[in-house]
This record gives sequence, structure tokens and C-alpha cells, in this order.
Amino acid sequence: MQRRSFFRAAGATLATSTLVLAGCKDDEEPATPVVNNVIAFNGFDTTTRQPIDDGVLNYAYLLEQLEAAFYQKVVASPPADLLPGELAYLTDLRDHELIHREYLKALLGSKAYDVSLAAPLEFNFSSLTLTTRVGVWTAARQLEDIGVAAYNGAGKLLVVTSNLLALGKLASVEARHAALVHEILQSDSFASTVGADGLDDAKTPTEVIELIKSFLPVEVSVAALPTT
Amino acid sequence: MNLFNIISELEKVDPEIMDRLTHRRSAFTALGNFGKKLALASAPIAIGSAFNKAVGQNTLNNVNEVFNYALLLERLEYSFYDQALKAATLTAPLTGVARTAIETIRGHELAHVNLLTAALGTNAAPAPANGFDFGTAFATYASFLTFAQAFEDTGVRAYKGQAGNIDPTLNPMVGGNAVNLLQTALQIHSVEARHAAHIRVMRRGATAGNQTNIFPWVINAEPNGAPAPVYGAGNPVATFPAESNLMQGGLTLTSVGGKTYTAEDVSAAFDEALDSTTVTNIASSVVKF
Repeated sequence: MQRRSFFRAAGATLATSTLVLAGCKDDEEPATPVVNNVIAFNGFDTTTRQPIDDGVLNYAYLLEQLEAAFYQKVVASPPADLLPGELAYLTDLRDHELIHREYLKALLGSKAYDVSLAAPLEFNFSSLTLTTRVGVWTAARQLEDIGVAAYNGAGKLLVVTSNLLALGKLASVEARHAALVHEILQSDSFASTVGADGLDDAKTPTEVIELIKSFLPVEVSVAALPTT
Repeated sequence: MNLFNIISELEKVDPEIMDRLTHRRSAFTALGNFGKKLALASAPIAIGSAFNKAVGQNTLNNVNEVFNYALLLERLEYSFYDQALKAATLTAPLTGVARTAIETIRGHELAHVNLLTAALGTNAAPAPANGFDFGTAFATYASFLTFAQAFEDTGVRAYKGQAGNIDPTLNPMVGGNAVNLLQTALQIHSVEARHAAHIRVMRRGATAGNQTNIFPWVINAEPNGAPAPVYGAGNPVATFPAESNLMQGGLTLTSVGGKTYTAEDVSAAFDEALDSTTVTNIASSVVKF
């Protein structure tokens, strides 16, 4: 193995081999060449194998980083056809997401997955159309809906009650954002994600990562998070 | 139910309780086995009978109580929108996309009532015999939306306040499908937040008087004409601070990560939870039922 260095944090591992996904032990040689950087969020204590929240909190931290970076990029270079008041909304959304990001980073402390990285991840928004207001709000709607569904799906994976409450405080704010962004794009679409059963969307971490992977500069594995 | 409140009570009878409560799942294992078996054996949902000795006024004893409390709030909300859509005073102002939006919200509240009723099965409490009396709420379009904001924002706080009381491993069969009760509650919680945001957006519109000081999110503890307790602190305040709270996890977030943020942004970025007693008092102060 050419690069054995693992950047370990309690809640996440930035490894240099996709073999982390397969549960390869540290002392085994990888069977395939190193091709990708992989961030693997770990939701279990390494010695007791009991579920811990660090992995899920890191997953939430990644989502908030992504949202904050998106709005930062948009506000720094807004589309020319924004309607009156829309830049103010985008600025509020940016600041809420920045506060969410910094809060989770502080909450995680040394367990933040990127604590050992020289620089935070840089997200790739090249697939989005950010030069028109419709493009910006469509992307925002996608990200906010993903955020809501992610928090709805992640709550049951947490073991510490105070963490459930902490993420719940963010989740409903994401839903408020989502409702606004929906409405900006189309009248009366504020709840178009809600089914006939009256329930909003909920997605597993695996489903969420699949939806956001085009924005991520590295592979993210949630295979080591709890699933129930 | 506020877990922190009862921990101190439990400590009086069981000094080692903190060790068992380190993890939520093990807390339910330690304290709720009897209830879990009961849930599997007979009642669709029931846990936590071991809590009974310790619970105080601000707590709900078990999941049946949590879901009956939610059911009461959902019945209240459904009745509120149903009466609004039938109110002669609102026929003229509540038209077009505004009426459609309220019909959509009423539909969600009815779906929540039906879902919770099904989940509770024979444990479902009866609806209030005389229905709900909202007084002068429907006198004007503006007063209707003010009440709506109060109910939706209270609903968000109420669900958030109960999430920690729902055992994440409870997956009863509802309508032929295994349903995770905690996830279901969270999926309702975000719907209430979407409603709250939309009602607030409607209040910014011309028909409601262009109240552009109202935002889709809660800034400080500004009531925007709703009863102040909707945005105030619950009991205990440490667990249920007012919406103007700027401190999360021991950090004052107006200065974090080398940057400063306004109190407006910090308070808006977090929705605070509320205990069941405070929520019930708010509802009782504006609705007869």
C-alpha cells in the first residue's frame, strides 16, 4: 500500500482507499490500487460496536456545509434577473446555513470529519445553472428538500436525546426554507413534497448521498452509519 | 415529556440512572421493556410505564399520551381550517391560490388526524364532544392568518418537544405497513413547519396588508400579533427556551467560527421546542374545547 495514512477522527475517516467501504481492516493490503479519496462516516463505537451519533452528526454537518457553500456562491455572484427582495432572502438563507454549519462544527469539535484536513471540502456546483433566478431557486429547492428529507430520515438513527433535539431545531428551519423556495418558483407548491398520507419526505443517508454526490469532490460512504 | 426533568426525579430513587440514560436506546431498554412488550402484545403503541413514578406535570407518560396529545392538536388545526373555509366572513378575501393553500393545509391536518387515529387504534382519545370554538378568529382575513400562524408555529414547537419521547425502535403495524413512529412524527413536524412558513408568506401579501416585517422563519420572539407565549419559554426554560434564544450547545452563536451574526439570523436559524403543558395552555387560551 503506497499511502497508508488514514486521517482518523472519531466520527469519520478520510481514507485513501475505497476499500474502507468493504470494511477492510487497517492491516490488510488493498486489493485494488488507490483511486479515490473516501470519507466514511462511522456510526459505531470502534471498541464496543454500540451506535454513536458522531457519524450522523458529521453527515448533517456535510449537508449544512453544502447548503452554506451553495448560498455563499450565489450571494457572491447573484443572477442579474433576481426579483426585488430575492437577494435579501438568499442572504438570509446563506446566513442561516452558515450558522447551522458553524454550530455543528463546534458541536463535533475534534470529531468533525474534516478537522485534520488542510482546508474544508470544496463543493462542485458546475452542474447547476446559477446565472438565472430560476436556475438558482430550482437548485435551492432541490437542496432544501434534500435537507428536510435527510433530517426526517436521520432522527431515528440518533442515540442521544439532546442530539435529536439539536437536529430537530435545524430540521424545521430547513422546512421553512423549503416552503419559501417552493413558493418563489411556483404558487401553492410550498408542500408539494407532502404525500396523501400527510407526511413529508424522508430519505436514508444512502439515498441522500446518491442525490448530492455530483456536488461532492470526494466519495462519501455512509455504509458504516446505523440503518435503524 | 422532558427527559432532563425526570432524570433528576429518577436519580432520587435510582442513583445509577444516569449511566443507563447515556444512550437513548438503552434508556428505553432499561425503563421501557415492560411497555415495549405491551406494545408488541396488545396496544399498537405503548412504552415507558416505568417512567410513571417519576413523571411530573410537564411530561406525558407514554407514547399513547404523546400521540393523543398530537391528535388533539391535529384535530384542533383541522377544525380551524375547516371552519375558516366555511366562514362567510372569509368568502371574499380567501380566494384563488390563498383558498387552495388553505384547502391543502386542511387536507394535511385531516391526514394527520387519520394517521394518528389509526396508529393509536383503541387507545385513541375521543374528539372533544362540543368541537372547537375559535371565537372571533374568522372575523377578518388578517385575524384568521394571525391565528393560523400561532397554531402552526405552536405545532412545530409541540412536535419538536415530543421527539425525544418516542422510542426510535417502535415500528408498529399501521394500515398493514410497519411504521417507525419517531420518523412519522418528524415527517409531520416538517409539514407543520412548511405550513407555518407559508402562512407567514401569505401575511406578507397584499390581501393581508403587506406585512413584510413577517418572515417565513421566527425572528427573535416576535409574535406578529399572535399570543406572545407561542414564542416564549416553556418549562423548564433550560430545555425549552424562548424563540429568541441565541445559545445552542453552550455556544452563543452571534459570534462563531471567526464571524459575527445578528440576533435576528441566529434566532431564526433555530426553532425551539415546547413542553406539552405550555402548549396546552396556549391552545386553551384561544380555543374553547
